[in-house]
Amino acid sequence: MNKSQIPDHSPQKNSGDRNLKAPIKDFEPKIVGFLCNWCSYAGADLAGTSRIKYPPNIRVIRVPCSGRVNPLFVLNCLMNGVDGVLVSGCHIGDCHYSEGNFYARRRFAILKRLLEYIGIDPRRFQMAWVSAAEGERWAKLVGELVEEIKEAGPNEHFGGNR
Amino acid sequence: MNVELRKKAKELLKTKQVEMIIGYQRGPDGISATPVFITREEEAENLIWDVYCVYNLSNYLKDFPGKKIGIIAKECDVRSIIVLLQENQLKRDDIFIIGVECSGVIAEHTLASGKESPGELDFDEKCKACRPSTPRLYDYLVSQKDQKDKGVLPEENPYQDIRKFEAKSIEERFKFWQEEFSRCIRCYACRQICPMCYCPRCVADQTMPTWFSRAPDLEGNLAWNVIRAFHLAGRCIDCGECERACPVGIPLREVNKKIEKDIKELFDYEAGAGVDQKPLLSCFDQNDPEDFIR
Repeated sequence: MNKSQIPDHSPQKNSGDRNLKAPIKDFEPKIVGFLCNWCSYAGADLAGTSRIKYPPNIRVIRVPCSGRVNPLFVLNCLMNGVDGVLVSGCHIGDCHYSEGNFYARRRFAILKRLLEYIGIDPRRFQMAWVSAAEGERWAKLVGELVEEIKEAGPNEHFGGNR
Repeated sequence: MNVELRKKAKELLKTKQVEMIIGYQRGPDGISATPVFITREEEAENLIWDVYCVYNLSNYLKDFPGKKIGIIAKECDVRSIIVLLQENQLKRDDIFIIGVECSGVIAEHTLASGKESPGELDFDEKCKACRPSTPRLYDYLVSQKDQKDKGVLPEENPYQDIRKFEAKSIEERFKFWQEEFSRCIRCYACRQICPMCYCPRCVADQTMPTWFSRAPDLEGNLAWNVIRAFHLAGRCIDCGECERACPVGIPLREVNKKIEKDIKELFDYEAGAGVDQKPLLSCFDQNDPEDFIR
């Protein structure tokens, strides 16, 4: 994506004026996706090779397994001003390492509720299971995610110093 | 009961069952209790146990690897010892737990208020959520027959404050924690005092990579406090030491208790329930809830 297409949403830290927020229709969220190598990454790849069109707002980071994703990755993204984070792995029972996604599921169930409790919009952290055959599902998922995070608005709380 | 406690301590040191006993002694102000490390029999006369013994002494256990240590522990301290045993940080044979019956300890702030007799003192908040008075694990129990009726009554619903806070709007919640965390000076007292924070190198001290801002700004403070609580998921036994040690009075127990409530609801898991229990995040169930996953 051309950089000029992304409007600047760097938060106005000291003004405190909510009106400075860009109108939602112009807002293109930045989403970071942590995709497991064996299912979701291949699924996203399939979406690409099948030439399915979906919004370019997601930046993909390939990880060996959803169980590899440290909650610190998620926090680090949010604190740096990313608008949404997606962790995606194999469906339950399909993990290449047999049980990695079971651990991830437990871990992120706790983190999701904790972030919500602290006052971070729950739409900003999402988790999904996408298999290597689900290219269409991947495209649809990203589309939905972008819409949801557009509704949530820019992540104005953090990342102001960078 | 102090007599019984001292007698047992002397016996343990004399028979060389332990090399050291970690307990409480009267502080220099004559009211409060401070930790004491006893290696000689005659020093055992200093040992005390009463409502002023607030500290969780299990934090000291891992400082003496390979030594036989006796420790005076109430129910909440015993649960933190259990978690350390579950995580292979201690050897069961190396520690001798002198369990004491506890019916609540005082809130530390009341010490400064000038109230002295136990009847006027406020009990600590953490004790209002705690039910049993006898520790669930001990090698020797010092019973407290004389003081049994005094103490706190357990709350009917220990999570009602958490539920009330959850019902607030997301903006209100963020505003609340933003204000609370803005006071954080990143002294890491909460980490140092916590019996469960034993990593040789904490993520907060790592610089390659730097996981979150080391400056006391909003991002760094929020990330630190969230990750501190998260790393205690399924391990925090609510001894309340972090909140007590916090110099700026951040209600850290309200974050810890939130996770405690969630893991009870989601996984029916209680931290420190028994030595044979597996650590929460090192195990899983096929049927763990996944309604949040798309």
